[in-house]
Amino acid sequence: MTKVVLRYFFDFMEGQEKWLNRMAHKGYRLKRCGRMVYLFESCQPNEYEYAVEFVADKSYSKSKDYRQFLEDMGFRTFTKNINLNFSLGKVRWRPYARGMGQIATSPGGFNRELLILEKKRDGKPFQLHTDLDDLISSYRAFRNSYFWAVICLLGLFAATFVPGIFAYSSALWRYVAKILVGVLAASFIISTIKYSMIIGGLKKESRTNE
Amino acid sequence: MIEGVILIRDNIKGGALTETTFLVLLAFYKPNHGYGIMQFIERETNGRVVLGAGTLYGAINTLLKKKWIMPVGNENIKNKKEYIITDIGRKAAEEERKRIGEIWRLATKIIGGETV
Repeated sequence: MTKVVLRYFFDFMEGQEKWLNRMAHKGYRLKRCGRMVYLFESCQPNEYEYAVEFVADKSYSKSKDYRQFLEDMGFRTFTKNINLNFSLGKVRWRPYARGMGQIATSPGGFNRELLILEKKRDGKPFQLHTDLDDLISSYRAFRNSYFWAVICLLGLFAATFVPGIFAYSSALWRYVAKILVGVLAASFIISTIKYSMIIGGLKKESRTNE
Repeated sequence: MIEGVILIRDNIKGGALTETTFLVLLAFYKPNHGYGIMQFIERETNGRVVLGAGTLYGAINTLLKKKWIMPVGNENIKNKKEYIITDIGRKAAEEERKRIGEIWRLATKIIGGETV
């Protein structure tokens, strides 16, 4: 029995992870995933569990190497996109990434920002990052991606106030654009703050513990 | 105050390794791969330390960059990558062993316990 679900996550890390685990709890195992489509097949309830890992800060070759490593460790892996962008032959700048990870191409690392990992439920917690330093740097990687999204959106938000830029569009559309961009920016600001607070807490702990 | 000075000097010299780094380094005294290392550490610490796969991947890459470990065998084979400790790695591990020994002796002297 297969099941097809159409879904898109703004909360692409925790929200998506929780949802996949809920599906596994109900007896659905991820078979494939596309940009917005998830294909499940039946399995024993609670047979598998899932984790979502952020890899957009790595270059494409690094993230492929990481994926291979995780496969060797016995996880099943899927790549997943964050953006909804249907294009081929594209170069994208990721200001938040490290080194060559700043350049994402399609085909390549673009639309493969996340890894979905699956393991058999064995009673042990599905934790990928277990020491404080490593936890801090992994949280920092996607905090930075939110932070840059805020910067870009605020730039766009500011642009809606500049006379002339959106002159060709109607007054109503300008109003809607302002609200849309503003709401999106606010939600990303909340995420940036949330992850910054998590990082701050971990850093405090890392002064005395490892 | 004195402890503070020692701690700072220690860190500047790059003395202390993190527990993760040291345990992973010890696991490479024999040729080993990711999954083998995770099992080694879990077994040898009686389940106290269970490394996450992401943390382990980071640790292996750091050790590779520092040239404390190197790949063994044919890298072109699509098999699990195996690595082994290098001479520089052995030196680092030996220094860490001494450092921990010092702390252990000090702690035993003050707190008590087994005689040194």
